[in-house]
Amino acid sequence: MIEVKDVMKSYGNQDNKLPVLKGITAKIADGDFVVILGASGSGKSTFLNVVSGLEKPDSGSVRYDGRDITKLSDGELTGFRKDTVGFIFQQYYLLPNMTVEKNVRMGADLAGNSDYREIIKAVGLEGKLKKYPGELSGGEQQRVSIARALAKKPNVLFLDEPTGALDEETGRQVLAYISALQKERGFTMVMVTHNQNIAQMANTVIRMNSGKVMEVSTNETPMTAYEIGW
Amino acid sequence: MVVGMKDAAKLIGISIISCCAVLVCALFMNYYLDILQIEDLLSTEQAVIFYHAQVSTAKVVCGVSGGCLLATSVVMLSFYIKHYIDTHKKELGILKALGYSNLRIAKNFWVFSTGVFLGTSVGFAGAFLLMPEFYERQNEEGLLPEIVVSFHPSLFVYLVALPTIAFAVLAVFYAALKLKRPVLLLLKNDFQSSSKIRRVKQGRDCPFLVDLRKHTLRTKKTLVFFIIFASFCFSAMTQMAASMNELASKMMGIMMLLIGVILACTTLFLAITTVIKGNTKTIAMMRVFGYSQKECCRALLGGYRPMSYIGFALGTVYQYALLRFTVDVIFKDMEGMPTYEFDFPVMFLSLAFFLVVYEIVMYCYAGQIKKISVKEIMLE
Ligand SMILES: Nc1ncnc2c1ncn2[C@@H]1O[C@H](COP(=O)(O)OP(=O)(O)OP(=O)(O)O)[C@@H](O)[C@H]1O
Ligand SMILES: [Mg+2]
Repeated sequence: MIEVKDVMKSYGNQDNKLPVLKGITAKIADGDFVVILGASGSGKSTFLNVVSGLEKPDSGSVRYDGRDITKLSDGELTGFRKDTVGFIFQQYYLLPNMTVEKNVRMGADLAGNSDYREIIKAVGLEGKLKKYPGELSGGEQQRVSIARALAKKPNVLFLDEPTGALDEETGRQVLAYISALQKERGFTMVMVTHNQNIAQMANTVIRMNSGKVMEVSTNETPMTAYEIGW
Repeated sequence: MVVGMKDAAKLIGISIISCCAVLVCALFMNYYLDILQIEDLLSTEQAVIFYHAQVSTAKVVCGVSGGCLLATSVVMLSFYIKHYIDTHKKELGILKALGYSNLRIAKNFWVFSTGVFLGTSVGFAGAFLLMPEFYERQNEEGLLPEIVVSFHPSLFVYLVALPTIAFAVLAVFYAALKLKRPVLLLLKNDFQSSSKIRRVKQGRDCPFLVDLRKHTLRTKKTLVFFIIFASFCFSAMTQMAASMNELASKMMGIMMLLIGVILACTTLFLAITTVIKGNTKTIAMMRVFGYSQKECCRALLGGYRPMSYIGFALGTVYQYALLRFTVDVIFKDMEGMPTYEFDFPVMFLSLAFFLVVYEIVMYCYAGQIKKISVKEIMLE
């Protein structure tokens, strides 16, 4: 269970403060699939970074099963990220001078996971094991970053617009794979997206507007990646 | 203007090294030119022998230290320009895309020679401040007639003006050469470009961290050179300084010690800063995933430790060989020259000192790594 309470975050200095999160409260149950929707600049990415422990809020708390991660030291936070969370970013952020295999191992080694090749295979990249990120298409790179995050066997997976750079066909494939794996392993998933349709796949939808939660809705009958519109 | 004075200011390493080089060379060359004047005034045979020994020392010191330091400056400058172009690929790429020619962009790189000018000028001036003292010490026993310090304008040309011009030309041509890349490769960022891929064999069942360490070592050969060079200088210069105390004069000993330590530290700092700067994104990504600061350090910097030991060993051998040669060949006719033996206590002292300095530097940089924010990956 992740409990976010009264989280505030602003950027800039004293004279020129830009409040980005203006008191956010939310609960995310274990094994839930949460989608965060909102206009560009509404603070979705910032929220994701704070909840996942990449960034500290100015005030408020983020509790994982009662443990407040905003109070952790830098070293403890690193340990927390290692044991608990996985990330998939819109821009992939693969290590350019490591092969696909090594990029995935970067995640796998942390969890002592030796069957990372299975995951590479599952995202359809077994033929590209020895290729470098610069030699892959955008969709392929995104799949590497997905494999890298999944190989880490996270309890909570954070995704910031994972399909932003993908075409419809690849996007659907990737989403189908991630959500199937989520059902199988039962990890929690928090995804930021622009795409309203993807929200239909989620159990819970959080709508944000200028740094505040506008609406939280639950979805009784989530659709699959091939049933939603695009 | 593509390259600002601010970028040139970062070239402090080159300034320091050229300052040392010019200081030593100006001191000994001036001495050499002045001592030549008194050749006719020599009366005793002992004075003639001493005179020749002094002339040879001046030549050896100039050749060895001047040559070494010059080579380092050239390597460092090329390295720095390459680094500058790599880190400013985007801006340079945009200029190229707009239609600026390579040479037109490269012309601006002359600014980098200001660091050389600054260093050589300071070194040259410093040499003249030290000269009266130095002349006196060299002739402490009064074997030679009094030597007067005189200013040789040609030295200024050779040691300050020419190096500055040469480095300006070198900077422009090297930049032009490096800019000869297709625009697209310059515009792509590190996370996308395939241009920078260095195919290093990555072991099939090698853990990620081990591979990362091997990779950092193999793709940054210049840095390996710098690390070896830094420890080489440190080892050779500190040990030689101790022997100089006995063989020559205290002042030469202190000068050697200072130059050795400054040179070693400058190169070490430069090398390690580049390793970290060049891997900022990798470190940030590793921290996002939860690799600890210690693991990042070990993977990126740990591989250089054995290299530094190699450098130290090489430096020890080198200084021994050089001193043996000097004592056996150049000073062989001198009477009352102390015999030269390899000095183990000094070596161990130097090694201990070296280890302390190295580990302190590494420790400081570990702090630097800690400061890299995980958000760094999202900045472009
Ligand atoms: N490091 C930062 N420094 C200053 N301002 C920032 C920083 N990061 C984000 N912001 C600002 O915070 C606001 C919210 O940013 P955020 O990235 O969270 O938006 P978003 O909802 O993810 O938008 P998008 O859908 O375009 O990705 C923006 O106005 C942005 O300019
Ligand atoms: Mg965003």
